[in-house]
Amino acid sequence: MANLSLKHIYKVYPNGAKAVNDFNMQISDKEFIVFVGPSGCGKSTTLRMIAGLEAITAGELKIGDTVVNGMEPKDRDIAMVFQNYALYPHMTIFENIAFGLRMRKIPDVKRDKDGKPVLDKNGNEIPVMRKYNKRELTEKVNEAAEILGITDYLKRKPKEMSGGQRQRVALGRAIVRQPKVMLLDEPLSNLDAKLRTQMRSEIVKLHKKLQTTFIYVTHDQVEAMTMGTRIVVMKDGFVKQIDTPKNLYKYPANKFVAGFIGTPQMNFFQGTLKKDGDSVIIDFKWSDAKITVPYSKLMKVKPQYLDGTKTVYIGFRAEDITLDEKAVKACNAKIKVRVSHSEELGTETLVYGDINMDGDGFEETSTRVIIKSAGFKDYQPDSVYEAALNIDAVHLFDIDTEENIMPRLPEYNYVDCTVNSGKVEFYGQSVALPPALNCADGLYEMLLPAEAVKPGGGIPAEIISTENINGKLLATLAVDGKKLFAVTGCLVDMQKLTQAADKKLNIAIDFKKVALRKDGKEVISPMPLVNGLNGTFAAEKSKENGNNITRYYLIINGTKAEAPEEIYKKMFAATSGRKVYNSAYRYEWTPYDIAVSENGIEAEVIETLDYGAEKFVKCAVGEQILFVKCDNALNGKIRLLPDAGKVSVVETERQIRIV
Amino acid sequence: MKAVAKCKNFFKGLPGKFRAVPGKLSARFAGAKEILTQGNGKVTASMLVMGLGQLLYKQWAKGIMYLFVQVAFIVYFILTGAYDLFGFFTLGLREGNAWYGIEGDNSVVMLIMGILAILIIIFYAAIYISNIKDVYRIQCAKDTLKNPVSFRQEAAALLDKSFHKTALALPVAGVCVFSIMPIVFMIFIAFTNYGGKVVPPALVSWVGLENFGKILTLGQFAPTFFKIFGWNMLWAVLSTAINYLAGLGLALLLNKACVKAKAIWRAFPILAYAIPGFITLLGFKFMFSYGGPINYYIKLAGGEAVGFLGLDAKWTARFIGLAVNAWISIPSTMLLATGILSNVNTDLYEAARVDGASAWKQFIKITLPYVLFATTPVLISQFIGNFNNFGIFYFLRGGLDMDGYFLASDTDLLINWLYRMSIDNNYYSIGAAISLIIFIITSIISLTVYVLSPSYKQEETFR
Amino acid sequence: MNEARAKVVKAKTKKVLNILITYCILIVVAFIFFFPCLWLILASFSKSGSIYSFDGFFPVEYGLDAFKTLFTDTVMYNYPQWFKNTLFIACMSCILGTVLTILTAYCMSRFRFKSRKAMMKTTLVLGMFPSFMGTIAVYLMMTQFNLINQHWGLILIYSAQAPMGYMVQKGFFDTIPYSIDEAARIDGASNFTVFVKFILPLSKPILVYTALTAFTWPWSDFILPKMLLIDRDYYTVAVGLMTLGETEFARFAAGSIFIAIPIIVLYFCLVKYMINGMAAGAVKE
Repeated sequence: MANLSLKHIYKVYPNGAKAVNDFNMQISDKEFIVFVGPSGCGKSTTLRMIAGLEAITAGELKIGDTVVNGMEPKDRDIAMVFQNYALYPHMTIFENIAFGLRMRKIPDVKRDKDGKPVLDKNGNEIPVMRKYNKRELTEKVNEAAEILGITDYLKRKPKEMSGGQRQRVALGRAIVRQPKVMLLDEPLSNLDAKLRTQMRSEIVKLHKKLQTTFIYVTHDQVEAMTMGTRIVVMKDGFVKQIDTPKNLYKYPANKFVAGFIGTPQMNFFQGTLKKDGDSVIIDFKWSDAKITVPYSKLMKVKPQYLDGTKTVYIGFRAEDITLDEKAVKACNAKIKVRVSHSEELGTETLVYGDINMDGDGFEETSTRVIIKSAGFKDYQPDSVYEAALNIDAVHLFDIDTEENIMPRLPEYNYVDCTVNSGKVEFYGQSVALPPALNCADGLYEMLLPAEAVKPGGGIPAEIISTENINGKLLATLAVDGKKLFAVTGCLVDMQKLTQAADKKLNIAIDFKKVALRKDGKEVISPMPLVNGLNGTFAAEKSKENGNNITRYYLIINGTKAEAPEEIYKKMFAATSGRKVYNSAYRYEWTPYDIAVSENGIEAEVIETLDYGAEKFVKCAVGEQILFVKCDNALNGKIRLLPDAGKVSVVETERQIRIV
Repeated sequence: MKAVAKCKNFFKGLPGKFRAVPGKLSARFAGAKEILTQGNGKVTASMLVMGLGQLLYKQWAKGIMYLFVQVAFIVYFILTGAYDLFGFFTLGLREGNAWYGIEGDNSVVMLIMGILAILIIIFYAAIYISNIKDVYRIQCAKDTLKNPVSFRQEAAALLDKSFHKTALALPVAGVCVFSIMPIVFMIFIAFTNYGGKVVPPALVSWVGLENFGKILTLGQFAPTFFKIFGWNMLWAVLSTAINYLAGLGLALLLNKACVKAKAIWRAFPILAYAIPGFITLLGFKFMFSYGGPINYYIKLAGGEAVGFLGLDAKWTARFIGLAVNAWISIPSTMLLATGILSNVNTDLYEAARVDGASAWKQFIKITLPYVLFATTPVLISQFIGNFNNFGIFYFLRGGLDMDGYFLASDTDLLINWLYRMSIDNNYYSIGAAISLIIFIITSIISLTVYVLSPSYKQEETFR
Repeated sequence: MNEARAKVVKAKTKKVLNILITYCILIVVAFIFFFPCLWLILASFSKSGSIYSFDGFFPVEYGLDAFKTLFTDTVMYNYPQWFKNTLFIACMSCILGTVLTILTAYCMSRFRFKSRKAMMKTTLVLGMFPSFMGTIAVYLMMTQFNLINQHWGLILIYSAQAPMGYMVQKGFFDTIPYSIDEAARIDGASNFTVFVKFILPLSKPILVYTALTAFTWPWSDFILPKMLLIDRDYYTVAVGLMTLGETEFARFAAGSIFIAIPIIVLYFCLVKYMINGMAAGAVKE
């Protein structure tokens, strides 16, 4: 019955090891969140930090509207179910469930022997805290026991019960207090497979019934997929992706998520992509397989991967490859598979094979393939079949970073353009370049971020489709018949894009986000959106009107900027002792949040960048380069006044983001 | 082989550990430096007068308690502490003489009171430091706008978060006074000339390493020491091995599937275990004595009475010692092994049987490694116990003096020698020096084994 | 076919032989452990006390004289008084020592505080000192505190030194899942409540084990009482019995039986707990 907010949560051990890295998440009321990942990924640590069993190194954890960072577990109004049940072995089931209630006090008013409220002099009731009485206890325990169907066992001891029943008791112990948040730490992993499935649906049922926020930790992706409304996939202390089960399955953000979610595991091949006119040739490594697909299907792929030299991971799920003859006949994307063996699962058959004719199909290699096929089909081992690939469901990942190179929200449009006397020509359009983008005439490659394409301006475009992805709108536009992506999170722009008459509107380009490249070298860089400044933190006492007043300052190059309460409180919370006064910080501002002023940080102007509508000044503070919005062209020495309220703070030593 | 490699690695790692010391030290003093450079006036106030800073911060209860501690300490120091501390260094200046009615200084008491004074000063210093840390913590909390921990909260935490402080206070105090202080006393004694003729009222004085030199070089002590030490090592190894293997064997025997009525069979060794050791030992002494039953039967068979534990019965007596010790110790090992064996995974044995492993192979490959792993700490303590097994020869043979030995017999262990010298014959300082040597030997052996044992390394993994 | 049969027969003989040998060994073991006890029991029923009037292991004449003199002839050897003394010292040290040991072990197992590792290593090192070397100092201290010839002095020493042997108990506590503590803390219990309401009820075996060892140590110790107790009337049984000579053998045997019986009874009643406690304390996985 509460929402949770986790902001920049870190767990750093004294030896410097980071168990949890910058965990950010908003959990709304009644959600069923699942943390999933291999062991040691930090999922349990995160849960235990929420429970209060583990201290939070830095960050802000809110349950409901209260920050609970330093609070004791019992005061957080949470309940937890442990992997090994953690029932109290020497107590009966009734006592096990009742114990949490016995330890608690509830507000009541002072009463006399007959239960009538005692009134004070003014005729008001006197509030007191009291323990649950016997009747209430029995009532509550029975209610919880009924929900879980363990009413008959209340007099037994835990060791007289089976694993499934014990887990029910553990659940009962958790729900009897009606906590705001239920935390479950791998509650089903000690149960056998059949029971696990049964308990799974019971927990889901329980969630529906209780209408409470559930946070559930598991290493079993099937549990995660079947139970969660949203899933957090973690690895090595980092959050890899947070999304709904469907989106995780369909749009994994990286190879780890792709491989972790779904059984059998996604097939990963290695290969290259080469764009050839309107089609792309996918060439599989260590195999003769080569397929040609229309470019329109791989539009979102980052172009630097399309030159046929970079090896990428090519992922297909088992159900996206088929051996069905009809489908194969109808499909263009075909590969040859030598079948090695198959597993009959009743409703379906998993066919194991290899796209390399010498591969054995047993070992997990980059050429092994698992194909899901209809039940009880015979495929002869060692014979070669043709398999059809569902190219709409291809997943592509970078070989080193393992990030998806075909993200749902494309980052950039890659546009070939010509610069000609202060104008840029592309897609049959000619747009005046702002003075800041000052470069020699010639052919360039323009990296046009999807977010830099905005409605309103002089470029006529047609809206092909729009898609709402995680709160942002992706619009696929056509300019002169060529596709252009626009992404926006701004509500007004979203409206304009979705409600354009005749699906036509004019667009503009935000040139400060644009980069121009020539022969692979960046000639014009986009203006950075974040300025980092190294500094420290200090307090200063002063007397004002006879009162002692302490003010807190961010100190950059000897210049003070008074920090507002919200900021310094967070900085205090993230450090212990007086460390806050002795640590180095990096303060970050957008160019809009620093003003050119008469006093403030001294800076040396390097140049003024004129983007037409807006002007920015590029200046140096010490060795750090800064971009600041300005009204007029500037020269020489200036002073900068950052807006301390809009700062974001990173502690340098531990690399912890505080605000 | 693995153990050897581990050993090597451990010792190879040692220089690195020593090199890391300066870094660790500076890390340790970083806190002190921080307090000294960043503490405010109230911290300084607490440095001068304990609790003053707390009082200035309006933490009354804590401030008054710290202040009280300081006042109490000063009173103690003026009344007796300073005198005791002074006495620790001088060990007395005025020799007593009953003839002239001079009441002299008792050096040994002065040494003890000196140690006590040092302990009290250390304790006071710890409180003093905690006082400074506490006031600095308040400053930190105030400076970062957090609520400083109040006295009430701290008191409440004594039953919760810092329950260990409450629970450990009494045990730690007890161990300090009755275990640590005596040992410290003994260590200091090893560097004095206390003993022999130098006992109060004569004045004892510090002599440095003289006693150790005497033991290792002087004609009187050195041969005895080395002879006894050799036998002592042999005894410790033999008796530990015998008890351990025999106890394990017995447990395995009783664990056999074909043995019926296990409880009854087990009862006999437990009977032996339950009888107090001194009764057993005295009983055996009677059994092997000249007029004892064994000799009765020897005489009956026409033989001559044998002095099993007599003066020239070197190896017979040693052998009897080993046997009697086995009689006493095997049952406890058996009980322990029984408990541990019940935890061994039976699947392992079934797998081994299917693989065709013989009973002996099963023992060597499965049982022994598992039991060894589980009982390394126990094995170490058994080794130490046997090394310092005082009772066996004290009761069996009593204090015999032999040629070639100084105040010892050929079955005596170092500990028996030590007892004879210090408690029976007043050679306190030499005895203390010997016990220091014993300590160094046993601690090197057991620390090495303990640090290398898996049970030490995996201590934290169970959580 | 024949060969297979021969194999079966061979296996059967082997099995029978195996059982036979096992029982032979068991009988021998039982004899070795039981006979000295039997001898002592027989000796206590000897009519004349001296060891010289025995036919080997067996007394010439049987009678209850030894027991009678044990409890009636209290001028030289006041056995009933010794017995009372021993019982008092052992019970008191048992209670105090158990409490202190269990508390220490619980803290070492459940809390992670700064000086924990240091304390564990210190106790390990202290355990290696020859124990009674410190007794000289203890003796001198006791004279200073005026606790010589007093039972409370002994009790103080026994119970104060008991926590040094906390390792077995800690090992046992380590096996109680930590999640039980955590569940209780979430339920709102303080660490003190956890200790009293959860840890203690769950550690009966180790409590029994601890109490038993804390009882038997003073019960059968002789060095300390010999040193600290001067008056014969303050003696414990161990010290008293040691003063008996070969001519008083029957009395010694009778006295031994009386002091051994309570412990033997305790051990047999609690052997199950003992095995569990010892094993759980020793096994660290």
